[in-house]
Amino acid sequence: MSMTFISPIFEVKNLSFTANEQKILEDISLTILPGDYCAIIGPNGGGKTTLIRLLLGLEKPTQGRIELFGQKLSRFKRWYKVGYVPQRASQLDQNFPATVLEVVKMGRIAQQGLFSRATQADNDAINEAMVKMDVLDIQHKLVGELSGGQRQRVMIARALASKPEVLILDEPNTGVDVISQKRFYKLLKELNEEENMTIIFITHDIGVIADDIGRLFTVNQTLLTCNNPKEAISCDDMSALYGIDAHLIHNHHHH
Amino acid sequence: MLEMFQYDFMIRAFLAGIIIAILAAISGSFIVLRRYSMITETLAHSALVGVAVGVIAGTNPLWIAVIAALVSAWTIEYLRSNFHLYSDSVLAIILSGSLALAVIIVSLADAFNSSLFSYLFGSILSVTQEDLIVMSVFGVIALTLLGIFYKELYFIAYDEEVARTSGIKVDLLNFLLVSIVAIIIALSIRIVGTLLIGAMMVIPTVAALRFRQGFAKTILIALIFSLLAVIVGMSSSYFFSLPSGATIVLTLLFIFIFSLIVNRR
Repeated sequence: MSMTFISPIFEVKNLSFTANEQKILEDISLTILPGDYCAIIGPNGGGKTTLIRLLLGLEKPTQGRIELFGQKLSRFKRWYKVGYVPQRASQLDQNFPATVLEVVKMGRIAQQGLFSRATQADNDAINEAMVKMDVLDIQHKLVGELSGGQRQRVMIARALASKPEVLILDEPNTGVDVISQKRFYKLLKELNEEENMTIIFITHDIGVIADDIGRLFTVNQTLLTCNNPKEAISCDDMSALYGIDAHLIHNHHHH
Repeated sequence: MLEMFQYDFMIRAFLAGIIIAILAAISGSFIVLRRYSMITETLAHSALVGVAVGVIAGTNPLWIAVIAALVSAWTIEYLRSNFHLYSDSVLAIILSGSLALAVIIVSLADAFNSSLFSYLFGSILSVTQEDLIVMSVFGVIALTLLGIFYKELYFIAYDEEVARTSGIKVDLLNFLLVSIVAIIIALSIRIVGTLLIGAMMVIPTVAALRFRQGFAKTILIALIFSLLAVIVGMSSSYFFSLPSGATIVLTLLFIFIFSLIVNRR
């Protein structure tokens, strides 16, 4: 199949968000294309999570607009194309009665018809997601009994079960040991390279970013962006990030 | 023991009890997991307003109780989502408000009598043929809805936000769940009574959770506990002439203590 132009996954124009009369985000414009591997960094309270919540439709923008797969976000229906792994993933109720399999199956629910039982396609997708995230062996364990790293992989398996084209993760490594973290970034990179899955995640691990991130978004109320992460780390952005010398570097996107 | 079934009222009471046991255990599990147990108490007191109206109007109070509980459930959800009030304060306000209203209606009608007592604590003698029909109709509707949406409700209970982003209509289903719970609570007042129905919704699931199983097994265990409590509770109500709501809840309490002891960790 040949494509003459690439339509963006996310197209954000002049996005602002105000809560309790306080500006959280101001005039953010960005474009995310299929296959992008993006990290979002910035200081605490800088609006990273809010940006992600806006992209997911969990918050309504005060100004500006967001398009997802070429459709206005408020009209978007094909949410199975978007996988989401929230920050709290590792901190959910430990006593909740749920096996790994039951949690991964959740990722498939929205796609199933109301009256229909799980189809072969559903079961295949669930199985494939568990194999990919290496949680097949622990599928009958309770999620509350897993380690932080295991639980994180289960949450990603759930997101993958709907066969998304874009995966959004909010600080996925909270409460996860270093070895699991390395393994985790390797998995993300594999999904990105082998399946051309668009990946967007918030992180604090600057070391990881410098290595193999495709695109870096630095958010502190406004968007301070460098497309090349190595430059971003060494250039003025870091001082800008911490509010010393805040000059804006606009992300160049097509108009 | 089985001679109690030579009485029609006992057969009706058992059928009604089994319907309630099934519905309460299943819908109660979602309510408990969402940390929303207290809504059962509030809705029960709102159902009491319906009972009071029914008693003074001389009609079957079950219908009116269903309507009163539904109106209350919708008011709670409306207040919660539109005024940014704390859930538990809203529940406390509606609970006291409903009780005050019910007491005034009953006082004005001078209707503090034994039939009111049976609505407060349940009575195996009180289930009429009409009640059984009303309970079966609403019971089948509630169970069908729970059957259709149980996967969605489970997802929402575990992780409401991710459920929302995966495209599940969370607000609509929350509304549906409280509506189902309101109906079940109103239907239960004959057997368990308004003041005791909360335990019936909550204890089976809380006891089942002690066994640390997945969701499907937890619901199954809750269902078994709930049925056991209704059967033992109603039999002892018959043999010792005690209010059935009280005997059922005490049986549940024994089951709860048993599950605490068996699963000490």
